[in-house]
Amino acid sequence: MKKTFRIIMLSLFIAQSLVLYIVEGMLPVPFIAPGAKLGLANLITVIAMYSLPRKRDACLILFVRVLLAAAFGGGINAFFYSVAGAVLSLGIMLLLKGVGKFSILGVSMAGGIFHNLGQVLVASLVVANLKIMLYLPILAIAGAGTGLLIGITSVFTLRHLKKLPIYKRMQE
Amino acid sequence: MKQIINKWDILLVAVLLVLSLIPEGIFYMTGNDAAVHDTYAVIQVDGKIYKEVPLSGHQGTETIPIKTDHGYNLVIVKDDTIGIVEADCPDKICISEGFISRPGATVVCLPHKILIEVKSAGGGEPDVIPAH
Ligand SMILES: [Zn+2]
Repeated sequence: MKKTFRIIMLSLFIAQSLVLYIVEGMLPVPFIAPGAKLGLANLITVIAMYSLPRKRDACLILFVRVLLAAAFGGGINAFFYSVAGAVLSLGIMLLLKGVGKFSILGVSMAGGIFHNLGQVLVASLVVANLKIMLYLPILAIAGAGTGLLIGITSVFTLRHLKKLPIYKRMQE
Repeated sequence: MKQIINKWDILLVAVLLVLSLIPEGIFYMTGNDAAVHDTYAVIQVDGKIYKEVPLSGHQGTETIPIKTDHGYNLVIVKDDTIGIVEADCPDKICISEGFISRPGATVVCLPHKILIEVKSAGGGEPDVIPAH
């Protein structure tokens, strides 16, 4: 990708994931602790991972989104939830994608589960009670569900994205 | 239509879900299992949920200052009890109510529209996860 083109593409991805993050904050979702999130913004991470050839681009998108989300409000707690969810889910997704055996669905479901693992870990630190960890099975199922939806959405988005001329330029 | 999920995906998710039971297993083996179904406190301000705090299993002291348009209250969670220790309300009834820990017990600060209620997460209530 040319430098300007890359900056524009990354900005678009960041803007989209930021919008998802903010919209998610308005949804009435089951909650474990103040600041915990479902991880809908993972959708953009998954699409970026599978449409941009370089790993560091997906990392950069996520990193900037987390920083901007903190700047847009949500406070310090929300920031820690955000970081833990982001790092764990992107980490496991890049790892599993690298293995090569798993499809987008498997990768994104694992990402959803690890995102929620991050939420539980931070929640048990925030309320200083390890028993929050007992919510892990429920949240793992919820994460797998979110991941499944995100995976299906990504499959269809990527299928159409690959037909666009812009996709070829993204691969350069 | 191309197949979008394969057996590796299903195996992966199954393994991860089983692994998510590890904390359950650890708490079960150390005999701590029941506690999560015990008590948590709901702090309401102006009829809206302000914060939920797990009580059973809680150790140490956590301070929760509540500053609203109505005034200031300092809520303290001490081990598995919760109460108001400071308030600038005129009647100070909330402070005199002391610390509570049993399900159903309440501490109220009427002038500041604050209600603290202890709830039981078990006891047949459907919401295992305290939800908004
Ligand atoms: Zn009072």
